[in-house]
Amino acid sequence: MRGTPARARRWATAALSVLALTAVAACGGGNDGSGGGSGSADKADLTWSFWVAGTEDQAAWQKVADQAHTDHPGITVKLQGTTWDNYWAKVGTLLASGKAPCIMGMQSLRLASYANALLPLDDLMTKYGLKTEDFDKPIMDGLKADGKQIAIPYDSGPMVIFYNRDLFKAAGVAEPKPGWTMDEFTAAAKKLTSAGKTGFVTSPGDLGVTSWVRTQTGAEPLADGKLALTDPKFEEGFTTYANFVKTDKIAPQVPSGNPDFETQQFTSGKAAMQLNGPWSLIDVKGKVKFDLGIAPIPAGPDGSKTYTAGSGFGISRSCKTPDAAFQAIMSMTSEKPLTTLAVAGRAYPARTVAHPAWFTAVKVEGAKETIDYASENSVPLVTSKNWVQVADLLNRFGTQALNGEIPPDQALKTIQDQAGAGS
Amino acid sequence: MATDTTTVAPPGLPSKADRVGRRPALRRDGRFAGIFLAPSLGGLALFTLFPTAMALAISLFDWPVFGERKFLGIDNYTQLLNDPVFRRVVLNTALFVVLYVPLNLVVSLGLAVWVGPKIKGRQAFRVLFFIPVMTPMVANVMVWRLLFQPGGLLDSGLESWFGINAPNFLGSSAWAMPAVVAMSIWQGFGYNFLVFSAALDQVPQSQLESAQIDGAGPLQRFRYVTWPMITPSIFFATTMTLITSFQVFVQPFILTQGGPGVATQTIVMYVYNQGWQFLTMGLASAAGWVLFVIIMAVTAIQFVGQRKWVQYDV
Repeated sequence: MRGTPARARRWATAALSVLALTAVAACGGGNDGSGGGSGSADKADLTWSFWVAGTEDQAAWQKVADQAHTDHPGITVKLQGTTWDNYWAKVGTLLASGKAPCIMGMQSLRLASYANALLPLDDLMTKYGLKTEDFDKPIMDGLKADGKQIAIPYDSGPMVIFYNRDLFKAAGVAEPKPGWTMDEFTAAAKKLTSAGKTGFVTSPGDLGVTSWVRTQTGAEPLADGKLALTDPKFEEGFTTYANFVKTDKIAPQVPSGNPDFETQQFTSGKAAMQLNGPWSLIDVKGKVKFDLGIAPIPAGPDGSKTYTAGSGFGISRSCKTPDAAFQAIMSMTSEKPLTTLAVAGRAYPARTVAHPAWFTAVKVEGAKETIDYASENSVPLVTSKNWVQVADLLNRFGTQALNGEIPPDQALKTIQDQAGAGS
Repeated sequence: MATDTTTVAPPGLPSKADRVGRRPALRRDGRFAGIFLAPSLGGLALFTLFPTAMALAISLFDWPVFGERKFLGIDNYTQLLNDPVFRRVVLNTALFVVLYVPLNLVVSLGLAVWVGPKIKGRQAFRVLFFIPVMTPMVANVMVWRLLFQPGGLLDSGLESWFGINAPNFLGSSAWAMPAVVAMSIWQGFGYNFLVFSAALDQVPQSQLESAQIDGAGPLQRFRYVTWPMITPSIFFATTMTLITSFQVFVQPFILTQGGPGVATQTIVMYVYNQGWQFLTMGLASAAGWVLFVIIMAVTAIQFVGQRKWVQYDV
């Protein structure tokens, strides 16, 4: 470039700056893009963005989408599947671009972060007569933001204990029943811990930590919508949870960054109990070589309390045919597809009428009794706008707290300092 | 730019005096060169210069993925510099570089020298050592995770043989970074190994033999004959390894997700999390620029320093 005349160089700089500015301006542009889908209330080609685990999964979910076409011949729904991680990596930019597909998958724990970009559904629910009471209440509430329904659930589930009945039998420990207490839990776990096996396995995951804290002290992670992890009650509950590893030694040390560690330990028979959601039950049952049982989370001083999480479908604000999209969602969450999903073991259905099909499919003794009990004692885990960051920090510093590297209250204080302001 | 070709002008290249005399022709050449360069320059401008400039612009804003954007000036940068987590993240990245780069170079050069011209089956070794580079990193990391985690292969092996437990490699702040470095070296040394093998093959056998006749031992032959001849390759390998190790992401991302705490979080992971997980593009872009400046500075120092030890015209 040494020979370039100064004039040309100036031109090049000017051209580049213009290019840069135009692009900045273009990115700043409003939501005038052509949002996914076009047509009227009864006639539309819609796109549905959702997480799928593979081609088989994609085919199963496309069948759910096809239900919309069966019910409304003018409406077609095309599934745009991507992996769970990829989905959340791009959903923000998709929604921001104003070109998001009409129908979006949404998980209750992440709802708060994206609620602004999704259409409140209350008016459409009244218009098309969707009955709230047909769905599990905790998950219906879990998919609300500021009192408005943002998504319609397809699955739900309270956190419950999965346990290895063979190990319980071998150790001569009585099997847990609804209403069992914290003391009974620790006593059982201590008896089950021996010879390279542990009675329990923990993780610093958000649902696990908050469920244990809630059953032990009743503390919630948010107070008035703001993160409140340094609340003494929350610290107390979390300390007891961390002590499962540190002082009680009924659970193994946890590795960093392996969200499947609990399930790996449990399914391989190294841990006798884990906390998990009903959505994993059929998958876990397929993996284990022992007799699987489930029980509610043990009761603290005020009884057994747990959290519910689940997922559903919402409509992006940029969608031009919200009526058609809503009718499609109603079909996709109707009895038939949810029953099909339940039978295939893909999800514990959010619609109560589809529950029997799921219980028949899981074939786990006492499953209905346990899940009904846990459901009654559960509330949705309501999260903050920056929950993804909170969950990430909880994983990081929670690992250190569980392993006894830092005191539990210090871990919570660090998380609160980092994420409290943005909540 | 690294090679100073004017010192040894190949025969046939016009001398300086000739060049001055034939300016118009040269100017025409320059124009053609410009035409040929245009596609790649265009690509560079569109896909490298523009995003870099754009990131600088974004870094001056509070730029959530959706919601109101607000001009902040340098606030993102001050926030980063005052954030204990980000400072730790920069230190982690530096620690990774300091551990990984020398070890990688020693291992790859050592093995390249060992699999020198005289060993049998050297081609097979070369393929073998290159396999970790070719296999997908995600698969590698999965296997290493099974090795490292509590109840994993190392832990249960130690327990059954010696009755002791291995450290919690991926859960302990002291062990997590060494675990990430160990995995990275295994995964990454094959590339430099190939570079060094090729360089060693270029060292003329006759010079090594004449040094031997003059009475030089193996160490002296390496120090005074081989080493100077492979310095350009070593410089190349060092620069590339340094740059890529400052940008380390996949290994800690999958092996430890940056934890425990922030013990293995690196700058690129921080950028990824801020931008794509927490949707704060402004802070992410600012962190990206901090990394860019660090890499530029380190690379510049290397290019200045190489004049002292890299020998191109042996």
